[in-house]
Amino acid sequence: MSRPASQGRLLPYILISPLVVFIGALSFYPTVLSTVQAFFRVTPLDPPTRFNGLENFRDLFASSAVRTSIANTAAYVVIGVVFSVVLGTAIASALQQHFRFRGVVLALVVLPWALPGVVEAVIWNWMYDPNFGVVNSVLRSLHLIGSYQVFLGLSRWLTVALIELSQIWQITPLMALIILAALQSVPRDFYEAAHVDGANRRQSFRYLTLPLIRPALAVSSVEALVLSLNIFDQVYVLNGNATLGSSLMLQTYIVTFQDLNFGQGYALSLVATVATALLSMTVIALLYRRSQA
Amino acid sequence: MALAVILLWSLFPLYWALNTSLTTLSAATSRPARYWPSPLVLGSYQQLFGISTSRSGVAYQFGRSLLNATIESGGAMVLSVVAAVFEAYAFARLRFHFKRAIFVSVLATLLLPAYATLIPLYRIMSNVHLVNTYIGVILVYTSGFLPLAIWVLFNYFNNVPPELEEAALVDGTSPVGALLRVIVPVALPGIAATAIIVFLLGWAQFLFPLVLTSDLSTQPVTVIVAALNGQRIVPLTLLMAAGTLAAAVPGVIALVLNRHIIQGVTAGAVK
Repeated sequence: MSRPASQGRLLPYILISPLVVFIGALSFYPTVLSTVQAFFRVTPLDPPTRFNGLENFRDLFASSAVRTSIANTAAYVVIGVVFSVVLGTAIASALQQHFRFRGVVLALVVLPWALPGVVEAVIWNWMYDPNFGVVNSVLRSLHLIGSYQVFLGLSRWLTVALIELSQIWQITPLMALIILAALQSVPRDFYEAAHVDGANRRQSFRYLTLPLIRPALAVSSVEALVLSLNIFDQVYVLNGNATLGSSLMLQTYIVTFQDLNFGQGYALSLVATVATALLSMTVIALLYRRSQA
Repeated sequence: MALAVILLWSLFPLYWALNTSLTTLSAATSRPARYWPSPLVLGSYQQLFGISTSRSGVAYQFGRSLLNATIESGGAMVLSVVAAVFEAYAFARLRFHFKRAIFVSVLATLLLPAYATLIPLYRIMSNVHLVNTYIGVILVYTSGFLPLAIWVLFNYFNNVPPELEEAALVDGTSPVGALLRVIVPVALPGIAATAIIVFLLGWAQFLFPLVLTSDLSTQPVTVIVAALNGQRIVPLTLLMAAGTLAAAVPGVIALVLNRHIIQGVTAGAVK
């Protein structure tokens, strides 16, 4: 059966045509729109929309709630990246060995990553409960606290740390999987050679494993960075609308959908997007350059 | 020992939700806490399923939101996977103008954080009257998940030997025929992995549906669980039963099909 040559040449374009809608109209166009509108006054309840230069940015940085959310987000990112990558490496090392039921254990460890973050946050909120929470109960039984404590909403950094802990719990399986894949690609002979040369376990981890899994550490650090910089679900549930533990994403949501100041929302999104891109590139550059040195 | 600590860390919060959901309110709020459900009661689940006499509004809200989440994640799954099969095939096997540039720009959107598109997508959907509709939510989910689906399937298709479809093409089968009859059956594990990942991603969404849905006709289970939590009048035992069920759907999928997920996650993450 012969078909017109033009149909064969058109076929690839027909196959990829849905990209026009899904990537063009619903990804590129919104990104451009968002970037441009960041420099406009956009308040649906009080039109018209007009160009206002850097005014949105000035107003944002003048707001103490925004400044708090930026500092908090920095803390979410530092705590989140450090702990999820270190814990992920530890879990991956433990799961690298062969043992019975390894598949089952792996499936159970991945579970927190597969479940909705907001539902998990509701569970953590109950565990942190000041009146009947299990965290209070355990700490009290261990005599680490004299009486039940209020954990969330009083001290700023304790609130931030405990909220981030619930996110670390969710995202660590991802880091563990990425690092585990890298660990398993290190040939066994390498360890045997190191052992023959008299390296102990710590030395072979430090001088053999670590350099070889550095690309995986870079990838998982970037994943942790983006996830913690975008933290929303856990903050929405565990902090609520308070400024105390607010994150950049929560602040963007409040400015846009509660204050209905879309222009400022766009501007805050732009700041966050640029920060995400710059920080991701910095992490990759740092970890890759050090692997060459 | 290390394994016991890892399992305790990974599973304790989930066990705690289950524990609370299976007991009475007074047992759940005892001091010190009871580490196993005693007395063991199924009242919260009966209430959620509307079996008990006190058929509450919560049961209706919860059931409807489960249905909404299924339609929205399922719709995004079908749309993403079908589109991605054809697109990944075009990128992996066919020649056309600007192929590399288009492919790179599709993958570049994987790096876009939610920040970049949340507000404009809301405004676009509101302009075309798709806020608070299934179609609006499904379109937005698909635009978010499609690049990942294309990337995972592209890698799978590249691992299928070209000789397989060449034989079919020589026999006079069209390229699309070769894709559907030769490549798709061979790449079925990859397609299944992609479908599962997309479904789980859809089920876990919260911020986007919080913005894009406004009432029970479309609000998925994540939005309803957060709302029940915020109302502070729903008994904790009922709230934890709702949380357990909302987590059980992706949880069972993740446990049963974990091989696919681990493949898909590592393929998607290690770019």
